Amino acid sequence: MDWFSYLTSGIGVYLALAVFTGGMAWRAWQWSRTPKSPVRLALYPKPKTGAGRVGKLLVDTFAAPQSFKIAPVIMVAAVLFHVAALAAFVGHLRLVHEFTPLVAVLGEDGMNTFAAWSGGAAGIIMLAAVLYWLGRRTFGTFKNLSVPEDYLLLALLLGIVLMGDHLRFVGGLHAATYQAWFASLMAFNPSFPAELANSTTRLALDWHMLFVDAFLIYFPFSKLTHAIGAFATNLVRSSE
Amino acid sequence: MEKKTIDTMVGTLDKRMNRQLKQYLDICARCAICKDSCHQYVATGDLKYLPARRAELIREIYRKYFTKAGEFVPALYEARDPDETLMDELYESAYACTGCRRCMYFCPFSIDNAWVVAAAKGMLIAAGRGNEMLGQLADAALFKADNMDMFDEIIVGGFADVEKELEEETGRPIAIPVDKQGADILYVALAGSHSIKPAAIIFDAAGASWTLSKFEAANYGFFFGDPAKAKLIADRFMNEAKRLGVKEVVITECGHAYRVAEMFYEAWAKEKMPFTVRHILEVIDDYIKDGRIKVDPKAIKERVTYHDPCQIGRNGGIYEQPRDIVTAIAPDFADMTPNRQEQWCCGGGGGIVAMEEFNKVRLASGAKKVEQIKATGAKLLACPCENCRLQIEELSKVHDLGLRIVPVMELVAEALVPKAEHTAVS
Repeated sequence: MDWFSYLTSGIGVYLALAVFTGGMAWRAWQWSRTPKSPVRLALYPKPKTGAGRVGKLLVDTFAAPQSFKIAPVIMVAAVLFHVAALAAFVGHLRLVHEFTPLVAVLGEDGMNTFAAWSGGAAGIIMLAAVLYWLGRRTFGTFKNLSVPEDYLLLALLLGIVLMGDHLRFVGGLHAATYQAWFASLMAFNPSFPAELANSTTRLALDWHMLFVDAFLIYFPFSKLTHAIGAFATNLVRSSE
Repeated sequence: MEKKTIDTMVGTLDKRMNRQLKQYLDICARCAICKDSCHQYVATGDLKYLPARRAELIREIYRKYFTKAGEFVPALYEARDPDETLMDELYESAYACTGCRRCMYFCPFSIDNAWVVAAAKGMLIAAGRGNEMLGQLADAALFKADNMDMFDEIIVGGFADVEKELEEETGRPIAIPVDKQGADILYVALAGSHSIKPAAIIFDAAGASWTLSKFEAANYGFFFGDPAKAKLIADRFMNEAKRLGVKEVVITECGHAYRVAEMFYEAWAKEKMPFTVRHILEVIDDYIKDGRIKVDPKAIKERVTYHDPCQIGRNGGIYEQPRDIVTAIAPDFADMTPNRQEQWCCGGGGGIVAMEEFNKVRLASGAKKVEQIKATGAKLLACPCENCRLQIEELSKVHDLGLRIVPVMELVAEALVPKAEHTAVS
C-alpha cells in the first residue's frame, strides 16, 4: 500500500469506525443524561398500550405515512435512498464473509450476477436521490434554509456513490479481490492483494474510502444523528 | 448586541434545555417537508414562517454555545451570536407561530417546532424583546390574583347580574354558585357572560353540583412564553379548586386553557392534583349519553360544520365528543376535510389575535380554513375555542362567508328539552 491507500483504505478505516462508534455512543449518552421534558408533548390520537406505541414508533420511523401524504416526491426519494443504502451496506457484508447459503442456491456465477444487478441498482438509485437533493437545495426555494453542513454531507455522499458506482460498473474486479483486502483489515494488517494493488481501480477505491471515512467521522457531529434520534422523537409523539 | 444580553439569552436556553428540545435541535434534516403543513407558510410563502426556519434561528445559537462542532467550525452550521437581524426575525417567527403543531404531525422525525418556539419566546423575553401586549395581559391577570380583595365584590356582583340575565332569558331562576365548598365541579370560564350562561343552563339541567371559578381560564403567560407566569395564572383556579375540595376542574371552551390545565400544570407545579381536569365538552357529552340531559335531535335544522381547535384536538385528544354532541342535535352535519389530527389551524391561536402587528399574516393564514368551511356548504359553525371563534368571525367578514359561529355548549343550551318534556322526546 502506498501512503494514500494506507491513509484511506487502511488506517483511515479504523479511525473512521472508532470515531463513528464512539461519537454516536457519546451523542446517545449526551441525550440520555439530559432530563426529559417535564410536560407531555404527545399528539393525538395515540396508542393506549406500550405495544401500540412501539408499533406506531416503527411505522412512523420506517414508513412515515403522514410525511408521504404531504410530500410524496421527497419521501419517495428518501425511502428509495435509505433502502438502497441499506441494500448496499448488506451487499458490502459479502466482503466480510461470502453469503454461503445464497451461493448454494444461486451458484457462484448466479451470485455474482445477482450482486452486480442489485449493487448496480442500489448505486444508481442512490446517485439519483443525492442529485435530486442537491438540486432541490441548490436551485429550489429552500436554498435559504440550507447551511454548509447540508452541502458537505451531500458532497461526501456524492463522492461515495460516484466512486462506488465506478467500482461497480467500470472497475472490473470481482468480490474475491476485495474480500482479500477486507480480510487484511480484519487481521489489523491492511494490505491490497496484488491484483488490486496493480490495478488502476485502486485509485477509485482509495477515493471511495476517503469519502466513506470522512462521512463516518463527520456523521456523529451532523444532523445525520437522526439515524438514532428519530426513534426517540417519534416515540415522544405517542408518549404518556 | 451586548455580551450581557447574549449571555442572558444563552442562559435561558440552557435553563429550558431538556432531552426533547436537544434532540429537536440536533436532528432536523432541514428537508422542509413541514412547508406544506404550516398555514402561515402556505399562505405567504415567506421563509420566516417555515417551521424548520423558525427552529433554525434557535439552532444557530444552540450550535455555537451548546455543541463543540459548532464552537470550532461555526461556518459549517452557520452557528452564530444573536444579532439585531436574527432577533427581529426570531420575534416575528416566534410570536406569529400559533403553536398548532401541524408541522410536528407531518414531520418524519416528529420534531415539535412549537416546543422550540416556546424556548425562543423565553430567550426573547430574557433579552427584553417579549411581546408587550401579551406580557401586559399576563401581568394584569396576576395583578387580579394578587389583589383579590379589591376585585372580589365586583366579580361576585357580576355573577349576580348574569343570574338575572339568565332568569330573563329562560324564564326561570338558574343559580350561579360561587365559592361552594365541596361542589363536584369547579367550572372555569372566560371573561364575559357568554361562556358562563350556556354552561350554567346545562349544569342546572343536569342537576350537577358545581361552582364557578372567580378566575378566567385564559392564560396569556402561556402565549407570552413565560412558564413561570403561566403557572402563576393557572395557580389561581387550581388553588381555588384545592380549597373548595372539588372532584374535577372543568375548563370552558378555550383551547389553550384546557391544554395548560390538563397537559402542563401538574408538571409545572411538580405535584399531582387531587382532582381531574376535563373540557366542558367531555362533560356535556357524558350528560347526553348518560341521559342526564335531553336534547332535541332536530333542534338545528340547518347544516352545521365543526372546527377542531388545535389545542383540544391534535394537542388535546378531544375529537369525537364534540362531534357526538353536534350530531345529537343537528341531523345535517358536514365535517370539514381534512379534519381531526390533520385539520388546518384557523390561524388564530397562540395569542396572535391579541397582537395587532400580526393582523396581516393572521388573516392571510386563514385561507385554508376558509376553503374548508366553504366546501362544507354550512353557514353554522360549531367552534369550541374563543380564539378560533374570534379569528373565524373576522375571516367570515373578510371573505363574506355569512357564517354564524357559535360555541358548542350554546347550541346544546338552545337544544335542551325541559325536564317536563323528557318522556315525550324519548
